[in-house]
Amino acid sequence: MGTKQTVVDILKDLTGSDVSGNLDENLFDSGMIDSMATVELLLELQERFGIDVPVSEFDRSEWDTPNKIIAKVESMK
Amino acid sequence: MINLQPYGNPMYFVYLLVGLLPLMIGLYFGKRFVVYQTIISAIFLLLIFGGSKWQQGLALIGYIVYQFIVVGGYAVYKRRANQTWVFVCTVILSIIPLVIVKITPAIQVGRQSLIGFLGISYLTFKSVQMVMEMRDGTIKKFDPIMFARFLLFFPTISSGPIDRYRRFQHDYIQIPDRKHYLQMLDKAVHYIFLGFLYKFILSYLFGTMMLPKIAHIAIMHREAFFHTGISLALVGYMYTYSMYLFFDFAGYSLFAVAASYLMGIETPMNFNQPFKAHNIKDFWNRWHMTLSFWFRDFIFMRLTFFIMKHRLIKNRKRIPQVAYLANFLIMGFWHGVTWYYIVYGLFHAGAIIINDYWLGFKKKHRQLPHNRLTEGIAIFITFNVVCFSFLIFSGFLNTLWFSAR
Amino acid sequence: MKTKGKLWLIFGPVIIAAGLLILLLSLPIGFGHFNSQTEKKAAVSLSPKVFRGRKIKQQALENGYVPFFGSSELSRLDEFHPSVLAAKYHRSYRPFLLGNAGSQSLTHYFTMQNLGTQLKGKKVIFIISPQWFTKEGQRPDAFGFYYSPLQTIDWIINAKNDTADRYAAKRLLEMPSGRSSEIGEAALENVEHGKPVSEFQKMFLKFKETILLNEDSLFSRFQLNNNLAKVQKGEKSLPAHYSISKLNHLAVKVGRRETTNNKLGIKNTFYKTRLSGNRIKDLKDSQTKLDYRRSPEYSDFELVLNQFAKWHVNVQFIIPPINARWADYTGLSIPMIRQTDQKIEYQLRQQGFNNVLDLSDYGNEKYFMEDTIHLGWRGWLKVDQTVNPFLTNKQPQPNYIIQNRFFSKNWQNTVKNE
Repeated sequence: MGTKQTVVDILKDLTGSDVSGNLDENLFDSGMIDSMATVELLLELQERFGIDVPVSEFDRSEWDTPNKIIAKVESMK
Repeated sequence: MINLQPYGNPMYFVYLLVGLLPLMIGLYFGKRFVVYQTIISAIFLLLIFGGSKWQQGLALIGYIVYQFIVVGGYAVYKRRANQTWVFVCTVILSIIPLVIVKITPAIQVGRQSLIGFLGISYLTFKSVQMVMEMRDGTIKKFDPIMFARFLLFFPTISSGPIDRYRRFQHDYIQIPDRKHYLQMLDKAVHYIFLGFLYKFILSYLFGTMMLPKIAHIAIMHREAFFHTGISLALVGYMYTYSMYLFFDFAGYSLFAVAASYLMGIETPMNFNQPFKAHNIKDFWNRWHMTLSFWFRDFIFMRLTFFIMKHRLIKNRKRIPQVAYLANFLIMGFWHGVTWYYIVYGLFHAGAIIINDYWLGFKKKHRQLPHNRLTEGIAIFITFNVVCFSFLIFSGFLNTLWFSAR
Repeated sequence: MKTKGKLWLIFGPVIIAAGLLILLLSLPIGFGHFNSQTEKKAAVSLSPKVFRGRKIKQQALENGYVPFFGSSELSRLDEFHPSVLAAKYHRSYRPFLLGNAGSQSLTHYFTMQNLGTQLKGKKVIFIISPQWFTKEGQRPDAFGFYYSPLQTIDWIINAKNDTADRYAAKRLLEMPSGRSSEIGEAALENVEHGKPVSEFQKMFLKFKETILLNEDSLFSRFQLNNNLAKVQKGEKSLPAHYSISKLNHLAVKVGRRETTNNKLGIKNTFYKTRLSGNRIKDLKDSQTKLDYRRSPEYSDFELVLNQFAKWHVNVQFIIPPINARWADYTGLSIPMIRQTDQKIEYQLRQQGFNNVLDLSDYGNEKYFMEDTIHLGWRGWLKVDQTVNPFLTNKQPQPNYIIQNRFFSKNWQNTVKNE
């Protein structure tokens, strides 16, 4: 399974909605993700991809759309 | 010697503009006059903490030396090892001075701690942030000179906004290009004049002209409504105080941001139309933003991360609730060790937990109406909940119920 | 070029606005006249803004207003208050009230400073309270509340090297307000030590004076409160024609109606808000230790007398009584008060101030005092019987002989015994 599909799956689990239709939607502005969901996302990413993202590293503006998250994960793998 | 309170009167702005002019010319031509900036910063710090406030000045120097030892010491240690208990101890050491300053007036009534000075809590936020980011490895090198510049950045030293080290360092080194700097100057002028309106006109109107009169009437009615003191005047006090609090602090923050911009540093904004918030969560993304984001990033998120990673709480719903309680309780204590600051913190934790339930309910029931009217109702409810929390925060209830009798 | 245009767009408006503001404040512009309604309002406003300013007072005094110096009793604006009586019965004078809670000799001395032209050879009323003469004298915070940089500058510019001015400079420097501006402070220190004020200091102070004057004439018309409404309401309840017996009758009636919730003869509203509940119990015998016989205030008062003498102002002094039942309840010593009054009177008469209305024996009269230490109803009527003829009729020119011994520590601490 590709990175993209995994991220979309994780986001679906977290937000309850399918984001694959709009990969550039701002997840924070639309209220789909809050601080709590962010932490869950980071933990999920750690579990599935084995990448370690410390909370300090998490700059909202770099993680606010599904596409940006996918790109970040790709770069950190 | 003279003493100047930051942004306290119109003359301060004249001094500020004259003092910063050479620096601004330099930035306009793409250069940062580091030596000049250091000297002018020292002069302004001397004006703020000198004269009649010299004791605070000494406390500030002592504090800086102390934090250098703590933060610098941790940086040296971190190169060799990374034990959790050392990290925890360092954080504790870093906040001890602030804890002493906050607890002293609660233990010895009315006494102020000798090691306190204007802005100690804001410097503590900056120092703790350094330690936490070094632990995470996002700050790898401890640059003592940059750390000093960051801590002692005079436009924001007394009451924030709270900047982040990496952001600040980037702005300090990377000089904005001319087009961008002109935009910053444009914004700075706008912010200063908006700040004048907020701080010297609206805050004066609400805080100096109206508030004492309303307070007096409310105290006269302290036996009203079964001795609770609940009266129309008290409601009036609640709204007037809320307006005063916003315009006073937002006005100050605009000045601080504007002064930073003139110096080529894009200090983040502190307020974003908070009374337009649709719910409490939204409110905390708009009110005293640098503080609430600091708490979000360094307390709330870390705590939830810790709880989930170690599976301390099984029920997923309970995790953010516990984190909110801890988060706002700490914020309450940070404001001061009095019953009303702590109740204020608990009140907001409660409000945000209820808000979460509502958001969950809304997610499940997608057929709920969403239009301008419901948005208006949401804003109205949020505004009133917030104003009520400010009434608690103001400490006026303490005067009304306990000390005015 | 493009960025220069942008720079101008950013800073141009600020520079123009700052330039206009500086012009507006630093040019000696008159900014017109106040209308008579503003005068009327200011005369009874009792507001510190009016005390601190200059223009509105100058204008009013030129238009037939007479200064009534005093303190908190001036705010007892019942229907028998001098301001109400003067308006109702179309007297030739109108009181301009100068004083409120906490204003004492030193405040009045500086308030007068820019009224020289208007006061020279004129008449004024001065209500002097024994309560001013505490061991500490003028409270610095109250002084700060009424402090006017403008009046201080006017004073410094005209200061001379004599006992009075050196004393005044010393007193001012003892107050935090006197040290609120660097250059003003240095100039005051010069005056205190008998040195001339330097040309640079004078130049700077004169520049500041222009700015303050413009601020004064631009802004002093705002924020006048509505005490005038109280005066007008009072006028309505008075008989159409002046008659001592009718007025006295009415004063008794009103006084009786408004002092029903306590046995001390204190107005109901005052008693309810200030004394009711446990507070009155706490005040029992609370004033046994008060002593007004030794106080720096005596020398501050001498400053005022010295100024009146310099300008040949004809002054009617009034010493109000203290509510006798209140004095008895709080244990205030009547012999001590008597000696205080005697000391004040001695200081006045020794120097030729002979128009003194000493009301101290009236503390027992019913409805004479509105509350604890403040004249009201019948008290105001009694005052009117002296004030009205004094201001309406022609008076002989007084002959004052100022004696510097009243500035001394020795006098401050002397107890007068008859």
